[in-house]
Amino acid sequence: MPKIKVDPISRIEGHLNIECRIESVPELKGEYFVKECKAAVTMFRGFEVFLIGRDPRDALLFTPRVCGVCPNPHSIASAMALDDAFGAIPPPAAILIRNIEEAAYYIYDHMIHFYLLIGPELAVLMGPEYGAPILPPVLGREGIAKGIGSHYVKCIEMQRRANEVVALWGGKFPHVTNYYPGGVLVQPTPERIAQSLANLVPVWEFVALTMIEDVKKLLYANERLKEVTETVLGVRVGLENIGECNGNFLSFGMLPRVEDYESDWLDTSKRNNSVFKAGAWFNGARHPLDENRITEDAKYSFYDVPDGLHPWDGRTVPMPNKPGAYAWTKAPRYDGKVFEVGPLARMLNTFGAKWKIPRIHPITGDDYGVFEYEVRNPKGSVLDRVVARAANALICANMVFEFLRELAKLYSEGKTQNINDKPIPKEAKGRGLWEAPRGALSHWIKIKDYKISHYQLVVPGTWNWSPRDSKGNPGPGETAIQCGTTWIPRLTVPEIANALYPGWGDLVAKALTTLNMKYSGLNLEKTERGEIVNATIPLLIVRSFDPCLACGVHIISPENKTYTFKLN
Amino acid sequence: MISRRDFIKSIAVMGAATFLSLYKSDLVSALREVKDYWHICWLNGAGCTGCSVSFAQAADPDLAEILTSITVGTSGLPIALPDWMYVVHPASGSLAVEFIEDWIKYRKGQKILVVEGAIQKEGFCETGGRDFREWVKEASQAADYIVAFGSCSAFGGIPHANGNPTGAMGVQDFLKEVGLNNIAMNVINLPRCPGHPDSLTLTLASLMLGVVPELDNYNRPLMFYGKNIHSEYCPFRPFFERLEFSKFGQSESGCRFKIGCKGPIAWADCSSRKWNNRTAFCIDVGAPCIACSEPEFPDGKTAPFFVELPEVVITPPPATTVKPVEVTPLPIETLRAIGIAGLIIAAAGGAAAIYTSRRRRSRELEKEAKGEV
Repeated sequence: MPKIKVDPISRIEGHLNIECRIESVPELKGEYFVKECKAAVTMFRGFEVFLIGRDPRDALLFTPRVCGVCPNPHSIASAMALDDAFGAIPPPAAILIRNIEEAAYYIYDHMIHFYLLIGPELAVLMGPEYGAPILPPVLGREGIAKGIGSHYVKCIEMQRRANEVVALWGGKFPHVTNYYPGGVLVQPTPERIAQSLANLVPVWEFVALTMIEDVKKLLYANERLKEVTETVLGVRVGLENIGECNGNFLSFGMLPRVEDYESDWLDTSKRNNSVFKAGAWFNGARHPLDENRITEDAKYSFYDVPDGLHPWDGRTVPMPNKPGAYAWTKAPRYDGKVFEVGPLARMLNTFGAKWKIPRIHPITGDDYGVFEYEVRNPKGSVLDRVVARAANALICANMVFEFLRELAKLYSEGKTQNINDKPIPKEAKGRGLWEAPRGALSHWIKIKDYKISHYQLVVPGTWNWSPRDSKGNPGPGETAIQCGTTWIPRLTVPEIANALYPGWGDLVAKALTTLNMKYSGLNLEKTERGEIVNATIPLLIVRSFDPCLACGVHIISPENKTYTFKLN
Repeated sequence: MISRRDFIKSIAVMGAATFLSLYKSDLVSALREVKDYWHICWLNGAGCTGCSVSFAQAADPDLAEILTSITVGTSGLPIALPDWMYVVHPASGSLAVEFIEDWIKYRKGQKILVVEGAIQKEGFCETGGRDFREWVKEASQAADYIVAFGSCSAFGGIPHANGNPTGAMGVQDFLKEVGLNNIAMNVINLPRCPGHPDSLTLTLASLMLGVVPELDNYNRPLMFYGKNIHSEYCPFRPFFERLEFSKFGQSESGCRFKIGCKGPIAWADCSSRKWNNRTAFCIDVGAPCIACSEPEFPDGKTAPFFVELPEVVITPPPATTVKPVEVTPLPIETLRAIGIAGLIIAAAGGAAAIYTSRRRRSRELEKEAKGEV
């Protein structure tokens, strides 16, 4: 079976490579499809080691630096772990400020994923009319004037505006500094509230009126894709058929409500009233989350630890050149099973398979119509993940105005307390469960003699990009790539574009080669037999998960011993 | 419209850093005058990609402007579009590797290497089938300028923290380790966690205009790292004088010293330049400064972050001689040719080109004195 390897993968966070065994399928005109995929994370830093022995509060500033793309979820997850350990319940204003910061942050994150990270592939599939604004501005200002890259450029401006709101409350972005056990260090002021509102109006408009419309166009263009695949392959393959996983989706919930923070939010088996609910979705229904069922396997990971440990007992002793191991990520499982995490998991657990999200202008009240969607593939797909991410962004854009209004009300009532300050406990433990844009995130801390004695992070990067577990089941990302529909065409990217829309590929090729002639070979890889094939579709699947892998790999060494070893 | 004479006067009065931040939009027009395509290669090692994300938060000019407006002459080709930058680059896999290799092979003259993330011992970071160490070693030798963007690539940063199991270190230390001392000397360090987008935009612009900014003993450009946060910049300084301090859970107002502010040992322009399009900086939102611009971050005096410094001692400035900005007189035709903003940059460099050979660091000496070598 021919093999291809794509290393490195751009437009994701972190160092990942994929290795695919491909085979020619006679029923599908002899075209190549991925038979087996192995994904390997190839960088690791050792975060948990340098946390041991530090002031517990330092985790607030260390852990965001696990990942500069999703620092805010780490800030809040560690803040909630410390809330829990310190026995400090944040006052209402602090809950709202955390929500405002996180919601604004989410808009940025989902936006750059749609336009900057996965956008170029989607743009090519969407054709000249719909796709051109999503392309990078490769033809410069002249090109933008003709519409090439106009939305891409607008996204750069809007993500910056959203992050200005994060910085307004958090000091700077990336890596905010305002979180504290029991609340936030920043106080609610009318100026901050007013400036946030002013900044977020154009952001809302961009999300609701440009990004959501682009998503609708993607749905439309997907039909065209199916027509073309029918001609080329003899079967209709759309983006909803690509990147299918197993139908298990896990969410920890996020954006709690102030009124039932203690009764609903702090009990992770409930979280029924938060903007995004916690839950384990399987057999087509949501089940209450049981955090005791979270375990990590390490059979195929470079660590010498038993399988099935809960994060409270988790250890990460590295074992280089471990026989059979191929990844630096461990394999987190829920109830021993493979679960996908991410925006689709949040949407399914919160709204089920049918979503209706209002688009009412937060200031003028104009109604731009409901954004409706029904999940196309109950097992997940590239299309469903992309749409779910946009839907998440819209919900956050709607909710951030609600939180700001609630905060303004609290301020007018004089309820401005921002921290419930508690001393560092001598001995305690705590956990913070939240949702990073890429999925379920949890921090687990133990404090002994006022210092950190144990810190474990179970992050979306490990959930989605885990290697095979003790039972040999591949992780969600690997499953999605080897799901059977991952076509490896022998056509180039411009040739695919031309097949979809005559002449479009020539334009794409021109745009690409203006920068560098070699771009005509975009995404082409050689098999070891020397045959040249196109790896766009596995890359599209990888990016549909919005991988973020710096956080996926961490190590603990109890003796603070230095390890040297080589990656296989 | 401000006249050129006023521009030059203002530089002398305000200092280069303030001036640059006020007029940096003019960089765009200045850069249009640069005739040739600059090749930038942006490599990511043991980092969190936060510096790339931070760069995307740049304003005036923002990332889109940098990518589109700053073009070579009238060709329409973006001058600063990196040959390789994995966060935004279209290519993956073997083509990506080819782009990095091509960059290494180009003739010298207009090549800038930007490094984000620390360099670890062998085996901890691999990309494109090779250890990250090899990439940095090879690319550094091929580059005309090396810019270490963010604390990780400058000094090791977070991955370098005590107990660090991977031997993470900054670019300079790494180059020295592999015997490339001469190259190590010329690395321009732009620490802070994450790196500030302005520091990168302005440094790249300066380099493209042929001016190496004047550096301190840690190779940080003085225009960003020349002043102390606590003693020279902090808007909350008056509270310190009146002994009014903020407290957890009670008041955001007051000097942050008692909640652990490391402003007295931090050298950076956060409080005047601020972050995210001049929105705020850490101290603004009730938080302490954690001195992320310093080589010892996140250990030494910078940690624990929420515990006050044992004493308020303003560390001596990292540069032994902080020169005032000098304006090199240039012929009028040259001024026209490079444009007003070009002059600003030239001035900001503080005749740096002339002094480049003289600016040398005493860091090794310090280290030797401490017995670290």
